[in-house]
Amino acid sequence: MASAYLQIILSGLSVGGVYALVAFSFSITFTTTKTLNFSQGEVVGFGAFVGVAVLSLLGISALAAPGITEGLGYLAALVGAGAVMGAVGVLLFLLAVRPFTGKPGMNWVMSTIGFGIILQSLGLAIWGPAPVMVASPFGSDVIRIGDAGIRPQEILIFVCVIGLVVVLDLVYRRTTFGKVMRAVAFDPDAASLMGIDIRKVMVLTFAFSCALAGVSGVLLAPIASASLFMGMGVALKSFSGAMIGGLNNPRGCIYGGFMLGLLETSVAFWQAQWREIVVFLLIILVLAFRPNGLFGGTVAEKV
Amino acid sequence: MRHVLLAIAIAAAAALATAFIENEFYLRLLFMVCVYFLCAAGMNVLLGFAGQKSLGQAGLFAAGAYGAALLTTRYDLDPWLAFGLSAVIAGLCGVLIALPSLRVKGPSLAMVTLAFGLVVEKLVSQASDTFGGAMGIYAIKPLAFGETPFTMAQWVWFGIALALVTHLVLRNLLVGRFGRAFASLREDEIAAASVGVAVYRTKVLAFVIAAVTCGLAGALVAQQNQYINSDFISFNLSIFILLLVLFGGSGSLAGPLIGAVLLVGLNALLARWSWIEHFAHGALLLLALYAMPRGVAGLLLDLARRLMPAAPEAADAAAPLLPVRAQAPGAGALLEARDICKAYGGVVPARDVSVSLTRGHIHALIGPNGAGKTTFINMLTGIVVPDSGTIRFCGDDLKGQAVHAVAASGVVRTFQNLRLFKQLSVRDNVLLGAHARMENGFLASLLGLPSARRAEAQAMARADGILAFTGLARVAQETAGSLAYGLQRRLELARALAAEPVLLLLDEPAAGLNPHETAELGALLVRIRDQGITILLIEHHMDLVMTICDHVIVLDYGEKIAEGPPAQVKHDPRVIEAYLGTEDTQEDAGVPPDEVEPAPSSSHGGARYGALRAAEGF
Repeated sequence: MASAYLQIILSGLSVGGVYALVAFSFSITFTTTKTLNFSQGEVVGFGAFVGVAVLSLLGISALAAPGITEGLGYLAALVGAGAVMGAVGVLLFLLAVRPFTGKPGMNWVMSTIGFGIILQSLGLAIWGPAPVMVASPFGSDVIRIGDAGIRPQEILIFVCVIGLVVVLDLVYRRTTFGKVMRAVAFDPDAASLMGIDIRKVMVLTFAFSCALAGVSGVLLAPIASASLFMGMGVALKSFSGAMIGGLNNPRGCIYGGFMLGLLETSVAFWQAQWREIVVFLLIILVLAFRPNGLFGGTVAEKV
Repeated sequence: MRHVLLAIAIAAAAALATAFIENEFYLRLLFMVCVYFLCAAGMNVLLGFAGQKSLGQAGLFAAGAYGAALLTTRYDLDPWLAFGLSAVIAGLCGVLIALPSLRVKGPSLAMVTLAFGLVVEKLVSQASDTFGGAMGIYAIKPLAFGETPFTMAQWVWFGIALALVTHLVLRNLLVGRFGRAFASLREDEIAAASVGVAVYRTKVLAFVIAAVTCGLAGALVAQQNQYINSDFISFNLSIFILLLVLFGGSGSLAGPLIGAVLLVGLNALLARWSWIEHFAHGALLLLALYAMPRGVAGLLLDLARRLMPAAPEAADAAAPLLPVRAQAPGAGALLEARDICKAYGGVVPARDVSVSLTRGHIHALIGPNGAGKTTFINMLTGIVVPDSGTIRFCGDDLKGQAVHAVAASGVVRTFQNLRLFKQLSVRDNVLLGAHARMENGFLASLLGLPSARRAEAQAMARADGILAFTGLARVAQETAGSLAYGLQRRLELARALAAEPVLLLLDEPAAGLNPHETAELGALLVRIRDQGITILLIEHHMDLVMTICDHVIVLDYGEKIAEGPPAQVKHDPRVIEAYLGTEDTQEDAGVPPDEVEPAPSSSHGGARYGALRAAEGF
């Protein structure tokens, strides 16, 4: 039984890592612009395929054996997906978010979905609907820890996510850019009066957010295989993680993402086919009692 | 009436055309127009009127479709009965999605609806024991006359009839009391509650309406095909339903029909290339949001307006009397607040405040910025719940009552920073004020019963009376947001008067008005008082307070420091100290050292500019 718990924790932490990254990507745009990308899932899927495209440009077959070239190729795929999806994020902001920010009616919810549909249909036109297998740079031999097993890619995900999260947290808290982001999040009007170009900050935030989603797609591809439809579930669960952690709280979102990963693997261990349904029902329950998440502060509307 | 005849004419023309079409493909297209019209008609209530973004309508479509499928195959029910019950099942699912809206709002609520759609999608594709998964459910009983199932043409006729009935009843609902209540949710939920709209209940109602029509559409498709599988239910369907409304014309009665006709036609043209169809939906969604926020119907309407300008409104007639609620002549105070306390951490906007308001008086609540005046009004109206203390109004306990219930019982307010329903007309704003005073219920409004029509006509007459009383009759058709600032202030007062208040709470009604407008307002308030309405106003214009008020209450840092007739209060040493500071601290920027912290209302910068105005007034 102990090994089962260990297995749940190991798998939960690695898949939770991906949720944490995407949850963080929701949080940074939400805090700075009060909007978020409802088609972040499509960005994850598109990013995975950009990664596949980079690998095939480098002549690395999708089912290659592990090796130095493959490792570097995978790194290039991560960077490539981050860069391309960052550019997509800029487009997303300019086309679908900026025209609707600061106006009543939340039309950005629907416009970001429209953008995501366009992105997905372009992906379908280029790569077709079939999922693509991607090999992990460290192979697929399961590493045994007691009776529990873990794939190298899962360890890689966990390490990458922890690394990224630490860097992001330092950037957010220690650098001038992080301070600028927090200032805009706290009060955009005051920030712009202090000479901060808030539009530039917002563009960069969206670029950054989409880049993270793209990277998550490449990280996930060796486990779940790259597909243009892979992202929707990931994005929804990440958003649920973000809600648990509190959308206004980037650190809380990271905890929330990991918690959701653990929750999902626990439910899956018990009843695999009910996992999504149980997870979403639990989220609704959490929201009923703590609408701002477990780590989120309360926000009262001024009357 | 013209609208009803036009709708019947369109339906009749479509039905007649059906009789001459023999090509199965075209009949199918017409049938799909009816199906998607049903989805869009309900979605228009939810999205276009109530402003709620539901991204999971496919789940409700599934509820109807699988409801009809399982009831006729597994339980062998009569197809007509199953058709009706599937709408009920979908309606219950609508309640289920609407439940979280009590706690979550905005983007989170949209995500919850998205998650609902996804859960249903997973459920029907993975729980294949019950729902058949990708294999689907066969041999669903079709609707039939006796033993003979519908022919394709009969399906189209049935679809048209159902669409026509749906359209007409929804129109009955949307042009009256409920349509305005839905629109008020889209515009401003706090203001909606403060005029007596039960926000949560109304929201649930909008979700249920959208669910029922979507469920009917699903049952129609399942029973016509006699087959349903999980491929029908996808996120793309949810988005398509959203697009029908946005592209056709969100918030317009004609929008759903225009959207259904155009988009079903477009799909038929593009069906061969699936990714182009997908791309077109995304592009149209962006286009509709960008270039035509009111959809194709909005474009047509603008064109019609340009060709036929509306007739101007009559000028203000002689100002009549206000409609006033019959009050039981009670003895003693109208409202009695005792030992009210409220604290936000270190900021204490109310500390043992006791206030007693006398019937038929104008009371003023004054004090420096951050004294807790607005919070006090928020507590009286239920927006903020006091930590302790009691509030009795006409003998009833107001504390802990919902905002809309307080408004319905006759305590009605205006807002310091104007909360009008900006996109609605001036007249609709006033009619919304009367929402809680109208008695036509849901069914009467839906069916357009004579009682509902009478209630609407009476409310309209009363609204026109109030518009004349407040001098707004000329601008009755304008959008509220387009009025000059002074008129917007007056409109908020008119909206509050339409609720037939017993106690009117005005939060800085003269803010931003020039001296002439302020004097006009003073005269208006006296006329309102003379009709027996008790008033409590927060005001910084001391000349106004001194001329019209019978009784003044002074708050400072959440404490009542003085009260009494205006002449007495203005000589009270504590009041002078609160406004101007005492001798020895005046060199120190006029802030007494023991009161430097905490600044109670940081959004006002804590500046006591009220002192300057007070000095002018004295």
